[in-house]
Order: sequence, then C-alpha cells, then structure tokens
Amino acid sequence: MRSMLSLSIVSMGSFCSRQQPLNEVDAEENIQAAEIDRRIAQETKAEQHIHKLLLLGAGESGKSTIFKQIRLLFQTGFDEVELKSYASVIHANVYQTIKILYDGAKELAQNDPSSSKYVVCTENKDIGEKLSEIGSKMDYPYLTKEIAKEITTLWNDPAIQETYSHGNKLQVPDCAQYFMENLERFSEATYVPTKEDVLHARVRTTGVVEIQFSPVGESRKSGEVYRLYDVGGQRNERRKWIHLFEGVTSVIFCAAISEYDQLLFEDETKNRMMETKELFEWVLKQSCFEKSSFMLFLNKFDIFEKKIQKVPLNVCEWFKDYQPVGSGRQEVEHAYEFVKKKYEELYFQNSKPDRVDRAFKIYRTTVLDQKLIKKTFKLVDETLRRRNLIEAGLL
Amino acid sequence: MPQYRQQGQWRLEGRGQVIDLQTAVKDGILGGRSGGGLLAEKDGTLVTAAEKFDLKKMVDELDSAVGEDVPSVFICPISLEPMVDPVTLCTGQTYERAHILKWISLGHLNCPTTMQELWDDDVTPNHTLRQLILAWFSQRHLLSKKRSEDVQGRAAGLVQSLKKAKGQGRVQALKDLLKLILDQPSVEKTVADSGGVTHLSSLLGPFTSHAVGSEVIAILVNLRLGTDAKTNLMQPAKISLVGDMLNEGTIDTKINCTKFIEMLMGEKSFRSEFVSSPSLLVALLRLVKDERHPNGIAAGLSLLKSVSFHEHVRSLIVSIGAVPQLVERLPNLLPDCLEPALHILDNLSATAEGQMALKNCPQTIPIAVKLLMTSEACTRHGVSILWNIINLAPDVCASLAIEAGLGAKLLFVIQSGYDAELKQRAAYLLKLCSLNYTTTLFMSKCKLTRTIQ
Repeated sequence: MRSMLSLSIVSMGSFCSRQQPLNEVDAEENIQAAEIDRRIAQETKAEQHIHKLLLLGAGESGKSTIFKQIRLLFQTGFDEVELKSYASVIHANVYQTIKILYDGAKELAQNDPSSSKYVVCTENKDIGEKLSEIGSKMDYPYLTKEIAKEITTLWNDPAIQETYSHGNKLQVPDCAQYFMENLERFSEATYVPTKEDVLHARVRTTGVVEIQFSPVGESRKSGEVYRLYDVGGQRNERRKWIHLFEGVTSVIFCAAISEYDQLLFEDETKNRMMETKELFEWVLKQSCFEKSSFMLFLNKFDIFEKKIQKVPLNVCEWFKDYQPVGSGRQEVEHAYEFVKKKYEELYFQNSKPDRVDRAFKIYRTTVLDQKLIKKTFKLVDETLRRRNLIEAGLL
Repeated sequence: MPQYRQQGQWRLEGRGQVIDLQTAVKDGILGGRSGGGLLAEKDGTLVTAAEKFDLKKMVDELDSAVGEDVPSVFICPISLEPMVDPVTLCTGQTYERAHILKWISLGHLNCPTTMQELWDDDVTPNHTLRQLILAWFSQRHLLSKKRSEDVQGRAAGLVQSLKKAKGQGRVQALKDLLKLILDQPSVEKTVADSGGVTHLSSLLGPFTSHAVGSEVIAILVNLRLGTDAKTNLMQPAKISLVGDMLNEGTIDTKINCTKFIEMLMGEKSFRSEFVSSPSLLVALLRLVKDERHPNGIAAGLSLLKSVSFHEHVRSLIVSIGAVPQLVERLPNLLPDCLEPALHILDNLSATAEGQMALKNCPQTIPIAVKLLMTSEACTRHGVSILWNIINLAPDVCASLAIEAGLGAKLLFVIQSGYDAELKQRAAYLLKLCSLNYTTTLFMSKCKLTRTIQ
C-alpha cells in the first residue's frame, strides 16, 4: 500500500508541476512523502499498543452478549436512542419465541399421538394460530397490551410449558423465560428497554463489529487499549476471512456449555456441542493464531448448573465417558471440571509442541451477569499484562 | 554500720559514687544491655513480683536467643552455670550450694577459686545475690513473654485486617502476613486459631486474581495444615487455580505451587483426577525444562514423580510428550535430579504408551545405558526402563542397547555391591540381550574376555 501511495504522489507531482522548475518539484514531493511516512509510522506505533481481541465461537455462544457487556462496562454504554431502538428487536424476539413454542408443541404432539401433554387446550388454539401467523411475517406489529395478554395466556398453557421444558429439541432461545416474564413491561406504550433487556435481546450478528476501550485498573494508567472484534457465528465461509485476523493478541473463544443436549440452528441433525468442538479444533489449527493467546470462555454456566441436575452429560457423544458422582453442588462442580478437562485435552491435542507456550486459560462465565463479566475481564487483563511482561523478560 | 534502708543509697567506700540497686541493674553495672529497671511494686519492695516465678525454671527456659550474656557475678565458678541457690564461703567467694557441698564432701579443704584453706566449712546463703539473679531472669522472662505476645497479637490483628481488606489492600495484607510468618514461625497457631487458614482457603476460587492467589499459596505452604484444612483445599476449582499459577507465575510462585500440590497429595482423601489436568502437567514439564532455575527443576521433578505414581495419570503424562522431553534433559541434569527423573520414566515405562514413547525416542537407550552405575537408584530405574523397552521389541532394541555398551555395564552391575534383586534383574536383562547373538559375537560386542564370562 505504501509503495502505491508514493507512486501516485510521484505521478501526481510530475503531472501538476510541469510549470515549476525541477528542483522545486522534487522538494515538494519529498516533503509530502516524508509527511505520509511519518503518519504511517505514527499509526503503526499506535496500533502496536492496541491489543486486539477476537471473539469467536458457534452461533448463540454468547459472543455478542460479551460485546454488549464490554460496551456497558468500559464505554459509555447505550444511550437513550440506542436503547429505544432495541424495543422492536425485543418485540420481535417475543413473537419469534412464542411462535417456536407453539409450532414446537404441534410438532411434538404429532410425533407422539398417544399422549396429550403437548396438545394445547382449545381456547388457546386460536391465539396460538394467530401468533404463529404473525411470527412468520417479516414485520411485526407493536406489542400491545392485548397481544401481550394473549401471549401470556398461551405461555401458561400446560402444553406450552411442557414443550418449553423439552426445548432442547427445538430452537427455543435461552432467554425465552425472561421474555415471557416481562411481557407486561414490554407492552407499555412508553417502553424503553433497560440494559438488562438489551443484554437478553437476540439479533444475529452479520459482518464484523468492533469496539475500542481501555481496561480498568493499572492498565488504564499505562495507556493500554483493547479493541474487540465480534464476528457472526453461524456456519458460513469462515475460512475465507479468518486470516484477516492474523496476529491478534488474543482469541476469546466462547463455548456455551449448556448446549450439550441442543441441536444446531443451521442443521438440526447436528449436536451443538459437537459443532463447537469441531470449530475449536479448526481455530486451533489455524496458523494465523500461532502467536495469539487463547482465552476459552465456558459460557452459560448458570443454565448448565440447572440442566445438569436433569439431563446427564452423556447425552452428548463427546462426553459419553462421564461418570456422575452424586448430586447438588458437588455434581455441578464435578461435571464442570469434566467438561473443562475435555476442552483442555482438545487444546493440547491440537496444538503443535512449539505452540504449547502460548497462553491458554479457561474461564467460567455467565455473560448475562455484569459483575461476573467485570471480574472475568479483570482476570483476562491481568493474564495479558503478565504475558507481556513475561515476553519482555521482566518476569 | 550503715543503717539498713530498703531503697537506700549506699556509699561505696573509696569511690564516692552513690548507687542504688535499681540504678545498678538499670545502668548495666550488673550487665543487661537492654536495661530496664527491676520490677518494683507500688510499696517499693523490690522483686516481689519476680518471686512468684520459679527461678530454676526461668533459667532453663531462657534461651540464648535473648542475645545478652548472663552477668559473670551470677555464674557459679564450679559449674559455670547461673546460680539458683548461691551460698558464700568464709573466704567470701560464692558458689552454687550443691556444687560447693559436693566439693567439700570430696575431701577438699580449700576454696576452689582462691585456693585459701577453709577455716570454717559453713556455707552462708547469699540472699542478696539470689534476689538479684531472680530479678534479672524474671525481667528478661517477662520481656520475652511480652514480645512473644506482641507478635501473636500482631498476627491476630493481621488476620482480622485481611478478612476485611479488598483489592490492593488485600494483596498488601497478604504480603504482610507472609513476612510475619517467615520472621516469626511461632505465629502459626495464632493464624490458624483466628480463622486465618479458613479465610485464606476461601480466597482461592475461579475468580481469584493471580496477585492474590500467589500470595495465598506462598502463605499456605509455610504453615502446617491439618487434615480438615487440606481436605477443604482439595476442591477442583482451587486446584485448577493452582495449575494456572503454575503456568503463569514467577519461579517462586511455581515452586510454591508444586509444594502445595505435593502437600495435598499426602492426604488420604486425595484423588488422582485432581492432577490429571493436561495444562497442569504441561506447566510442570515447562518448569522441569527451565534451565535458568535449578531449584525449579528439582521441585518440578519431585512433583512429577509423585504424580507419576498414579496409574491413571501416566497415559496423560505420556500424551503431552513428556517422555522425549525428559529423556533429552537427562544428560544436563544435576546428580540429585537424575534419580527422580529416571524414576518418572521408570513409572511411565510400566504403561504401553510409555513404552512406545520410550522406544520411539532414539536417545533413550544410549542415555539410559550411560547412566547405569551412577548410583544404585539410577541403576535400578535404568535397568527397569531398559527391560521394558527391550521386551517390547527385542530384535531391534537389544542390538541398539548392546551397541551402546549395555553388556559391559550390566556386567559391572552384576559384580557390584548392589542389592541382590537388582543384580538378578541385570542378569536377566543381559540374558535377554544375548539371545540373538552367538556366544562369541556377544562376548566381543560386550568387549568381554573369556575369564570374565
């Protein structure tokens, strides 16, 4: 790019300066070239102080929520206008959710004709059909009090509740309960989404988004800056653009550990955890991340905690050798450690011996919990700073 | 005769100085650099408080850590020990009662120091001197007790402030506590009693920063922990944290982490799955390879050895490539690190994966052969490793071993003063290696003469 620039200057110079004597032309060109060189050097130097972090992970692993959390924690957060803009997103999420549940109930009832637990009661059937119709359109109507009431009625239908508890077979979003419980608030005419609402809102990320921020504590004084990149998670031509992120300081890989019994959105024959496993392996093998530290966020721990009591880990093929130890808190910890160890083994199996020195750390996260994310990020920051010191030979 | 006065001032003849008893002790005339007056009750009677203590006990208890010498006038010339019951002879010399009576009973009729003949073998108790000795020792005893209480008080205070501290304050409090424990090991009990150990344990968790974690571990390895405390520390999340610190910390932190884990491994309730973490083992391996820090190498090998005793972890150790890395390090190791390193490889060679890895590493056989006879333990492990490899693929490995000079070495072993079982194993190994050769060829390979055979 540099050579191109200087080439154009030279050609420019020779173009417009035919009237001027030759040595003056040279001098002017030199000044301009020097100025541009200086600017480039300055920006390169500035860039070096910016630690680039890349968020990767399968769809719905929590990457974008982390992104939002960072905005809330380290930047000015969302302003009124932006908050308001999320209202329509949340309404859309509500419609999508109830549609998935209603359609899902019908599907489950069809697959199991003998039982009636998925059969919505007759009064609610009409509501269900209407909402399903709305949900299939491109534009959603504003969530009025009446519609909210109808949705609540349908949500409370035992069949729908039963469907929800079997949500892993469908594509029910994790925050379904949150949406349903807050319908009254959402349907206010003057509704402005809260920060928590925004964190729960679900929009598929397309393209790349980035934010720049300064971390807390000591790093702030030294002028360290982080730039966080978020890319969409669904299966698409990852291999085409991944190399653009060569040399990032750190890859933050998000894996939702609660989805060991769920199926992919793009391919309902594939278990989500297996997809995440394959993606992680693929990322580890990329040469562009040879020098980057790897931070693995084992996310959605809160959902994992609850799920592990009801659904054993062995339903996922990768975890088929899991042996439960008991119940309660101990079991949760034991299961978590098992999953963590599996990911560790995967990491070391897929890292060449000369890459074993790059930093690799696993964090337990629940990205909806702002305090936890703040604590987690402090730890990430500490690790990266120590890494710098170690590499500079100071530790 | 001067009038007797309790706190009087005595005129010393010829000196013109006025001295009273308190000043005498305080100003160090009788010794006592640290000074401080005699204990005086409100009514002015000297040393009454001191008399409550048993002098003998105090003399025995007062350790030389006091740092000052007992005044020479308090010492019995016979035993050279402080006197607890001083008695004076007619010559005016004072001795410990038991010793001087023994002297006289042995038939001596003179004073031991002046050699004057005794015209009177009565002994007079020297109350004054006894009071002075009592006072001196009591004072030191009380000071030392106070100092010790101060230290205990400080320790308890630090633990309390640690419980309340947050952020940077917490890190500082931890550093202060560590310094105190290192300076004054006696505070251990106070720290435990004031809930210090429990609190420290609670500070370790998934969200502990490295700064806090490294200080906590440094403190915990310097305390003697009870079974309850250790069981409490054996939670996966805490051990995970220690593994992370083993990866990222300074050399001191890393060594503390290895000691910490070894301490936990000594408990009955320890489960091998706590250490079957790839990142922990990789961190250990990195520590063992770090040539800049020999004590780190020793610490890492020690823990790796303890870990390699757990069968379930062995295949994991092999899977992270420990075998070739350890084998390559062997020639560079200091002598006292050789034994643990070989022991680890020996343990690993008991597994199929370990055997494969050892066989596949070209350096194993020559290095193992070279290390035979460096010590009995090294030889035992070396023979065992070679046995396991050669058994795996006798055709290939036996000849490699013989080429490397195994034959001669094994003969040395067999002829050595080592354990009989070891010599037997060496003999079997030699036999195994010789199977593919004719006798003459074998002997020439081993550079043997007929006589030795």
